[in-house]
Order: sequence, then structure tokens, then C-alpha cells
Amino acid sequence: MEELVLELKKQIIEVLNLEDVQPDDIDNDAPLFGEGLGLDSIDALELIVMMEKSYGIKIKDPSAGKDIFKSVNTMADFVSKNRTK
Amino acid sequence: MTTKQRIWITPTQVELNGTKLPVTAHGGALLTELYRQHVNDYPKFFKMDELSRLGFVAAELLLQAEGDRHSDTDDRAVILFNRCSSLCNDRKYQATIADKNDYFPSPSIFVYTLPNIVTGEIAIRNRYYGETSFYVLAARDYSFMQSVVEASFRDGTTRSALFGWIDCEDHDHFEAYMELVVQ
Repeated sequence: MEELVLELKKQIIEVLNLEDVQPDDIDNDAPLFGEGLGLDSIDALELIVMMEKSYGIKIKDPSAGKDIFKSVNTMADFVSKNRTK
Repeated sequence: MTTKQRIWITPTQVELNGTKLPVTAHGGALLTELYRQHVNDYPKFFKMDELSRLGFVAAELLLQAEGDRHSDTDDRAVILFNRCSSLCNDRKYQATIADKNDYFPSPSIFVYTLPNIVTGEIAIRNRYYGETSFYVLAARDYSFMQSVVEASFRDGTTRSALFGWIDCEDHDHFEAYMELVVQ
């Protein structure tokens, strides 16, 4: 799981162009939206695309994103249970 | 209409009020260098497309030259012009949808597939609530551009404007010429 968490952090930084952020700067349990990384609604859409592109996971219910993208740990948990690639 | 400040940015040089600024990078990297050297407090810069980055750093340098930041106001307009519209970013977006076997449209690239987004970025940064407009012209026409700004000054609200030519064909071909003008 630790490996997946690090991989997700690197991908988040890359796809969201978080230029000055390092993986270590992202707390595993910190909220990704609002406080924490301060991501916005476009970032949320980009994360949904990333889930499908990298892990073959289609998030059909946008409201489910609130729980999935709560933190890096919740993302990792969801990916590990639902990934198809 | 009086010009208070002017800036000219090409892929290889930057001139602020006629004085060349020392820069080392070229092309798109030049815009990042300008951001790092002169701004560096607005991480959203890195999410912008090249056209918005160009307009953003041009506006930042002009407004720094102005001195006291005139913000949170509705009397300053942002009126920009170019020829290539959002072509640079449109190509980037097309690359995300060109292959039907690798079809992942990027939302963050898509939001910049309009040229007038750059006027919004500048207005948001400075909390300008007045006019913002963007015109795509067949060729640069300075007197026409001036006439548009002069017309804005007749609206009873606008007292100053950031206006100019912000054109970006690709990473290595762009030009910004922006002026801060007052009524």
C-alpha cells in the first residue's frame, strides 16, 4: 500500500501541475480539497480522468468522488480494491 | 488616453518601459523564469496554458512598475487582442482526444481552449470587476486596438485599462505587447 500511496502522490503532482509540491509534502490523511492541497473542481475532474487512464477505474457517480478523493489514503484504498490495470 | 507603462515580451527578450530585463531562458521557460523572479506567490500560474502565462506575467510586471497595486476595483478594464486565438492550447487538447484507443480528454487543458480566459486570469488575480474583453484579429492593428479602449473609456466607469497584443502560436513563438493606459 505504501508503494501505491507514493505512486498516487507522484501522479497527483504531475497531472495537476503542482510545481512546488514534493510527495513528502502531501500528508496521507490530509484533505485534498479546500484546505490541504487546495484543489478545485477542475482538479477533481482531472483526478477522475487519471483514475480511468492509470487504473482502469470509471467513476460513474460524481458524488462518490467526495469520499474517494478525501485524502491520498482513501484514494489508495479505493484503487487497490477496484483497479483493473 | 495616456500610456503609463508598457511591456514587450518575446521568446528571447523582455523590455519594460524601454529597458531590457536580464533573462537567461528562452521560449516557454522564459515565462516561468519571469514568474519565479518577479512573482512567485501564485501557484495557479503553473496550471495556466501558455497564452494565460504570457498575459499573466506581462500584467504582473506592468503592475509592479505602476507601484501601489490598484486592485479590488471596477474602474480598470482588461482588453486584449491576438491573431492565434487559443490555438497553442487547442493543439494540446486535441492531442488528448486524437487517438480513439487512448481517448482521455483533459478537463484542465479544455478550460483554456478559449482565448479570453487570460483576461479572466488577470482580473481574478487583481480583483478587477470591470470590463474584460478579448478580440481575435486577422492582423495586429494598433489604431483599431486603441479605438476599442477609447470606446471603453466612454462607459462612465472605466478610468484605466490593461490593453495590448497577447499572441501565442506555440511554446517558442509568442509575443506580448501590453500597456497600462489611463483616461
